[in-house]
Amino acid sequence: MNQELLEKLSECVEFGKINLASPYPPQMKGMPGADEITKEALEAGVTPGEILNEALISAMNKVGQKFSENKIFVPQMLLSAKAMSASMIHLKPFFANGSVKRKGIFIIGTVFGDLHDIGKNLFSMMVEGAGWEVIDLGIDVKIEKFVEAVQQNPNAVVGISALLTTTMVHMKPVIEAIKSAVPETKVIVGGAPLSAEFAASIGADGYGKNPQEGILWLDKISA
Amino acid sequence: MENKINNSNLSSPLGARGSMTHKERFLATIANQPVDRPASWLGLPVPAAVPGLLEYFKVNSIDELKIKLDDDIYPIEVPYNFPPSNHIACAFKFAKVSHDDKPDERTLTAPGFFEDIDDPTLVDTFPWPDPALYLDVEASRRLAMAANPDYVRMGVMWSAHFQDACAAFGMEKALMVMLMNPDMFTAVIDRITEFYLKANELFYEATKGYLDAVLIGNDFGSQNGLMVDPDSLRTYVFPGTKKLIDQAKRYGLKVIHHSCGSIYPIIQDLIELGVDSIHPIQALAADMDAQTLKKGFAGKTSFCGGVDAQHLLVNGKPNEITAKVHELKQLFPTGLIISPSHEAILPDIPPANVEAMFNAINS
Ligand code: B12
Repeated sequence: MNQELLEKLSECVEFGKINLASPYPPQMKGMPGADEITKEALEAGVTPGEILNEALISAMNKVGQKFSENKIFVPQMLLSAKAMSASMIHLKPFFANGSVKRKGIFIIGTVFGDLHDIGKNLFSMMVEGAGWEVIDLGIDVKIEKFVEAVQQNPNAVVGISALLTTTMVHMKPVIEAIKSAVPETKVIVGGAPLSAEFAASIGADGYGKNPQEGILWLDKISA
Repeated sequence: MENKINNSNLSSPLGARGSMTHKERFLATIANQPVDRPASWLGLPVPAAVPGLLEYFKVNSIDELKIKLDDDIYPIEVPYNFPPSNHIACAFKFAKVSHDDKPDERTLTAPGFFEDIDDPTLVDTFPWPDPALYLDVEASRRLAMAANPDYVRMGVMWSAHFQDACAAFGMEKALMVMLMNPDMFTAVIDRITEFYLKANELFYEATKGYLDAVLIGNDFGSQNGLMVDPDSLRTYVFPGTKKLIDQAKRYGLKVIHHSCGSIYPIIQDLIELGVDSIHPIQALAADMDAQTLKKGFAGKTSFCGGVDAQHLLVNGKPNEITAKVHELKQLFPTGLIISPSHEAILPDIPPANVEAMFNAINS
């Protein structure tokens, strides 16, 4: 029974079924969504940890995989993320009281001068779906704002996004400032014009071409 | 302007004149017919890039620079009196947050007017602007008449109905609404399309006889693939694109369609929609290199762009740019209007690389 609920929940997240009222996807119309099934699962005694690890994380992992293969696209991914959030809402009290642990804190922002945020937002959702607490600093994030955020969360991992050749060059000073404020901080970068070589050349610890790669890296450093 | 000069000495750099006029070269290129040398377009340098270009090329204006580089397309922006941007791409004030009202600063993701509206019958609660109030018909005619008729005079219409529909809700919301409440999405994108059809009608009427082509488009691609699945684009977006293209064709205008990013799976759609040239061929995006496009579409359509502006034009040496242009010329003896892979020339592109690009095109 519990296993069945976890599987149903996983399916809702994979295919973006948010709640009963949502007409999407058409083949699941009129059926309960991530919202209702999570409630039902908690009432049936499934633990929040099981919900997070066995349904949400694995479903979002499949979503990320399909996205990286261009089998699904931004709208479908957003609906999956939305379904995940509809479930996650019910887990918030357990995160707050410490009965379920997340993998860590992930701080993310688009580098200063750059306003592109579609990719950053998608990556944030995926990281949340991978079991991290995300602090999103937004777009056009100045160096001081990154520094302040790592000082307040000294164990956090940082992600920086840049979509322009004119702003990717701003990443190096950001990384330097972060590392001089809290030296152990690990930083991952991403965005259209970047490459692994560029990431290494500016002192980043990781690079993700897509959310999938970024999450694999996060899993590796948090293992 | 001195565009009609015929110069048989084709090997002299910058300023060498071919045996075809700009228009002949452009028309032959999009028809995949032989050309004397590749058609080309400088693009639209952003304001921050202009001083460096003028200084390097020792010219006083971008118009003078264009004569020097001898490119073929002359862009004409739509005069639109809607302060502070005065830009038709900023005709709709959808964003709920304040942001700098410039085309470069608008962000499609900010929460928009329709964020919480899910009833399509409420679409007219938004104060849809009437383009007739802002589009300066007289100035349109004046600008088009002032342009050298030897050039391919291209109206920069954009008419980005999809991107505006994203801004109308906030992009993330919009893309979800598209799948969950398609009637709502359609109601909004249809209104936006109507706006552009009306605006374009005014512009095309005003410039009749003085306009050769138009640039319209939306960004559908990211670096690695389409942002939206082809089926959704076909259902919700291309019907509007079709109307915009048909309208331009009724005025005898050639249609250059812009979409950044990796868009290979919808190129055939754009061809069937009647597009004459596909811009900007973002060379480093997945499947958008010249070789792959040649294999898939040589002779079936034409392209405009192709010189990578994400790495090569920014970091490359002039001789590398020369080599790339020669490679493009080999792959596309016609059918490609050579241009940077983004029309917005940013200040990080060294003018020497622009020079190398046009030297190689014109040699
Ligand atoms: C949509 C878009 C816009 C929108 C942005 C809306 C928004 N709120 O984000 C608008 C229209 C506003 C815009 C504006 C501009 N843009 Co723009 N834009 C794009 C476009 C078409 C798609 C970007 C996108 O959202 N993709 C979808 C997402 C899902 O993908 P993504 O961002 O790449 O992110 C993925 C990965 O990179 C990764 N990722 C991203 N961040 C991170 C971070 C980490 C830590 C990790 C691990 C992974 C990761 O995961 C994401 C999911 O897979 C690109 C084309 C392209 N090739 O990318 C041009 C592009 C980036 N833009 C470009 C330009 C030139 C501009 C402008 C300067 C144009 C102008 N003059 O108006 C302005 C600049 C504004 C500014 N100051 O920032 C050029 C840049 C060229 C260059 N030299 O670098 C591009 C490449 C287009 C081109 N033809 O060359 N743009």
